[in-house]
Amino acid sequence: MPSNDTKDRGARAAADIRPFQIRGRFFTAVSLRPESEQQDESFFEALDDQLRQTPQFFANAPLILDLEQVPGLNGTEVLRRMVETLKQRNLAPFGVQNASGEQVRAASDLGLINITTGQDAPLKAERRQKAIKAVRQTPAKTKTITLPVRSGQTVIADEGDLIVIGPVSSGAELIAAGNIHVYGPLRGRAMAGAHGDETARVFCTRLEAELLAIAGLYRTSESLAPEYGLQNVQAFLKNERLCVETLG
Amino acid sequence: MSKIIVVTSGKGGVGKTTTSAAISAGLAKRGHKTVVIDFDVGLRNLDMIMGCERRVVFDFINVIQGDAKLKQALIRDKRLDNLAVLPTSQTRDKDALTQEGVEAVLNELKEEFDYIICDSPAGIERGALMAMYYADEAIVVTNPEVSSVRDSDRVLGLLQSKTHRAEEEGAEPIKAQVLITRHDQARIDKGEMMTVEDVLEILAVPLLGIIPESPAVLRASNMGVPVVLDDPSAAASAYEDAVARLVGEQVEMKIGGERRPGLISRLFGLTA
Repeated sequence: MPSNDTKDRGARAAADIRPFQIRGRFFTAVSLRPESEQQDESFFEALDDQLRQTPQFFANAPLILDLEQVPGLNGTEVLRRMVETLKQRNLAPFGVQNASGEQVRAASDLGLINITTGQDAPLKAERRQKAIKAVRQTPAKTKTITLPVRSGQTVIADEGDLIVIGPVSSGAELIAAGNIHVYGPLRGRAMAGAHGDETARVFCTRLEAELLAIAGLYRTSESLAPEYGLQNVQAFLKNERLCVETLG
Repeated sequence: MSKIIVVTSGKGGVGKTTTSAAISAGLAKRGHKTVVIDFDVGLRNLDMIMGCERRVVFDFINVIQGDAKLKQALIRDKRLDNLAVLPTSQTRDKDALTQEGVEAVLNELKEEFDYIICDSPAGIERGALMAMYYADEAIVVTNPEVSSVRDSDRVLGLLQSKTHRAEEEGAEPIKAQVLITRHDQARIDKGEMMTVEDVLEILAVPLLGIIPESPAVLRASNMGVPVVLDDPSAAASAYEDAVARLVGEQVEMKIGGERRPGLISRLFGLTA
């Protein structure tokens, strides 16, 4: 049908030129990492033990030889023996990893490819998840200061919020991973969200600050609108701008 | 129980040495055994203000280094027999002050004296830190102007963190009070200087006294007489009030030269 012809022209034109398709494929390979250059009976016995425990998992499994720990294991003959022995065990070695120049040459003689990328990605992801869990389990620590913060002093709340009850002098610095609350005049510098938390805020009962910063975006007293001076205010980020607003 | 009081400020030229001389003479005048120590090693001034520079043989550094006995270095005041001066060295520098040496001298002085006044050098380096380290109380001298107040604020921070009382577990923090010197009501009225309220709001510590700007202070210094031992003046009476407050008396705070400095000064002179 003519209508179909016009519709499919693009697709068929491509198909007519090339009799194949190229597709990216991801699959899982097993990596075997010898830790000793001694390739004797005990090595293969230990390997056999391992294979017996989960025979299905290893049957005809594509396998990469990771040679990082055995730079001395080179020479075509040595590698050939290794590959032969693995094939006898129904494994399918097809490549080498972390191989030295000599090992790469020996491997290509045997038809093994050299794989330069590839990491133990699943393992890493697992670790990262664990780390996040650990952080969530401990509550964010709030630091409370009940003395005046004097010129030249720096108070850092590395993990959570910082609360100061008293004045913060000009020349003093407050730094917090989370929010900063000042119950008193804030005349020094206040840097909230020091680790990049853009939802952090700065609150003070009297704004005379030299500098306000949230997640690295800052304003100095010169660029802080004078109408907020001496007032009860909060500062926060909105559309990547540092906004100041009076509190009722 | 003797008390160690440091007179400090951060900024130079605000009147630390004048205040040390006046406060120590004022305490001695009230009958307290008092010694005043010059911590400004290398820039020996206190002995001149106290009028004993020609009697200096041994000094504080000689005592610290064991070259002289404390008794040899102490200079007894000729006007008040319960007042002594421990002068410092003009030839050495602040590195000659060691923490152990200072502690040993202070401990020996505690056996004889009720009040030990430490005249701190300007700055926040070794000399100033050594002067404040063993203090029980502090007099922070401030002029009513922004840079002096900011430096005083810095020093208050050091008093609350870098001293023996701050470092020792469970010790009472140093009792710090501010003494405003060179107060000039006329210039404050013109807006050229900060008001007392502004200063106290920033420093947030109790006020020990307000010393008016007075030609009597410079004259007394040049003559080597602590201002409280000189002829009556507004500054002298303000220092005497400050001394009274220092020993725990309730004295009403007067601001010198409220309307006509001349008249008020004369009135203060009469009541002193």
